Amino acid sequence: MKKDIFNFRRFGKYFSTDFRTCCANYGLSLLTISLLSPVALYFITAAFNMMLRNGWDGPDMGLRVFVFVVAMICLVVTMPVKCYGRITEKQYGSFWLTLPASRLEKFASMILMTCIIVPISGALLYLGLDAAICALDSTCGQNLVAGGMELLQKMGEAQDVTFNFIDENITIEDATLAQEIIRQVNNPWMYLDEIFCITLPFLLGAIFFKNGKTVKTILALFAISTATSIICSPILTNWALEIVNTANEDPMAILQMFNNKLFKNLVLIDTLTDTVTNLALLAGVWFRIKTLKH
Amino acid sequence: MITINDLGFTYGETGGLGSISLDKTKGHILPADRYVLKNISMNLEEGRIYGLLGENGVGKTTFLTLLSGLKKPQHGEIDIDGRKPYDREPSFLSDLYYLSDEVAPMNMKAIDYAMNYGKFWTGFDIDRFNEVMNVLEVDAQQKMNKMSSGQLKKTYIAFALACNTKYLFMDEPTNGLDIPSKAQFRKAVTKYTREDSVILISTHQVRDLENIIDPIIILDRQDVLLNASIAEISEKLYFDYSSEPMENALYREMIPGGNIQVCLNQYGEDSKVNLEALFNTVHQHKELIKGIFNK
Repeated sequence: MKKDIFNFRRFGKYFSTDFRTCCANYGLSLLTISLLSPVALYFITAAFNMMLRNGWDGPDMGLRVFVFVVAMICLVVTMPVKCYGRITEKQYGSFWLTLPASRLEKFASMILMTCIIVPISGALLYLGLDAAICALDSTCGQNLVAGGMELLQKMGEAQDVTFNFIDENITIEDATLAQEIIRQVNNPWMYLDEIFCITLPFLLGAIFFKNGKTVKTILALFAISTATSIICSPILTNWALEIVNTANEDPMAILQMFNNKLFKNLVLIDTLTDTVTNLALLAGVWFRIKTLKH
Repeated sequence: MITINDLGFTYGETGGLGSISLDKTKGHILPADRYVLKNISMNLEEGRIYGLLGENGVGKTTFLTLLSGLKKPQHGEIDIDGRKPYDREPSFLSDLYYLSDEVAPMNMKAIDYAMNYGKFWTGFDIDRFNEVMNVLEVDAQQKMNKMSSGQLKKTYIAFALACNTKYLFMDEPTNGLDIPSKAQFRKAVTKYTREDSVILISTHQVRDLENIIDPIIILDRQDVLLNASIAEISEKLYFDYSSEPMENALYREMIPGGNIQVCLNQYGEDSKVNLEALFNTVHQHKELIKGIFNK
């Protein structure tokens, strides 16, 4: 009975099959997005610089970061539809459902592929090629990895600054709080769990909608965020009014409240909200797999 | 063995408004009783190739998908060797293969597909896959999404037979096959299936499978009109191929050079069962046939 729920050997077999199927269905798209975009960006920028500035110059760091983020978003948005979207079709879906692997194994493999394997492979390919281009042409400056490392280092150093250069009257409390905020935004977990928040809605959309999967997912996200804003706005308005009232009486109390409740717990608040969102999305994917019929 | 007890399934909404319900797709008020399958009970035994016949829309595909665990029975139950198909347990699924009427053109070579997926079925044999592909005259090195629909269907048939499962359900397997392929299919099914397997093949093309299916199950709307072996059928019905019309014929059809006539076998004579004539006879005399075979 337990073997029917999860079996490591069978999971390994299923994951390798899933990986191969994803390679067959999405391998070319992954290579195109990850390898073509840095090359295209390089040549297009260089061509524009040749025409407009009469000199050879590669894309600067800001533009490269922007294109990298866009490419990664394209990757996680299009991958689930190509790899798993077909399970809602009768032709493939009936085969997929009767494939002798447990629901949990199919679910785990799906999540691993969508949230870890494909984004990491895509990012590594992109960053690797970016590094190669930067090594070949010094006009591009630093590669994205080195640039990122430098940024992290600078942020780390900023943590040690006592802030007395801003204002001589700065208090020890203010400096400590600033350090605390910097320490928190330096925490990689603040950003890592965002990957799941971006990929999971598109995976759920791919296996939930029968057609127009990406468009419907975007529309659904828009509808959900609008509904959430409408529901939350009275609560937030009340809260804001309360703050204003308190501020009139005791301005320091407000600062104290933000310090204690918000800034000191940035990572905790971010992790909590992301975890709740991700758990809800994971539950959605699980129940869709569990209840899928053909 | 497969035991089906009081199986019921509907695609629409039932209940809610007493005897009516709302068809959401068309906005019509319809009778609540829209069961495709209702009160279906039967046993499917090992070592048989069952032919599942019925008009369009009587629920043949629904029946097969329920047996394969692709749908959940809304009423009654299906028991396959003590398991419920809808649980989709891997140990159960590895002994079952369902060949859908529509098959997916995968983005890989047929041989790669077989190697990639075949390992999940414990009885899968890659040599058998290649053998059946040869019998069906399809190149295993060809990419599946470059195949014609007939070649694709044959690839899936080869895969289904190579899985060597105890339970094999095929939905319209001969659709899209050319005439030689239908003969090759019959040959492959008889040669490459297990002695103890339960094979259920749904078809409209009764002639394609005439010599291999036995027993015959004829479904009607919400009912099973017939579930009998060829021996039982020929024991109870007589198929006459002479040119002289019979007065007591239940069904008569003119064919070049004579007639096919079906009547009750009152004198225990032997005759060759013609499935098309049988199907038409059953449909024209539903209650009579049910009465004869349910005795």
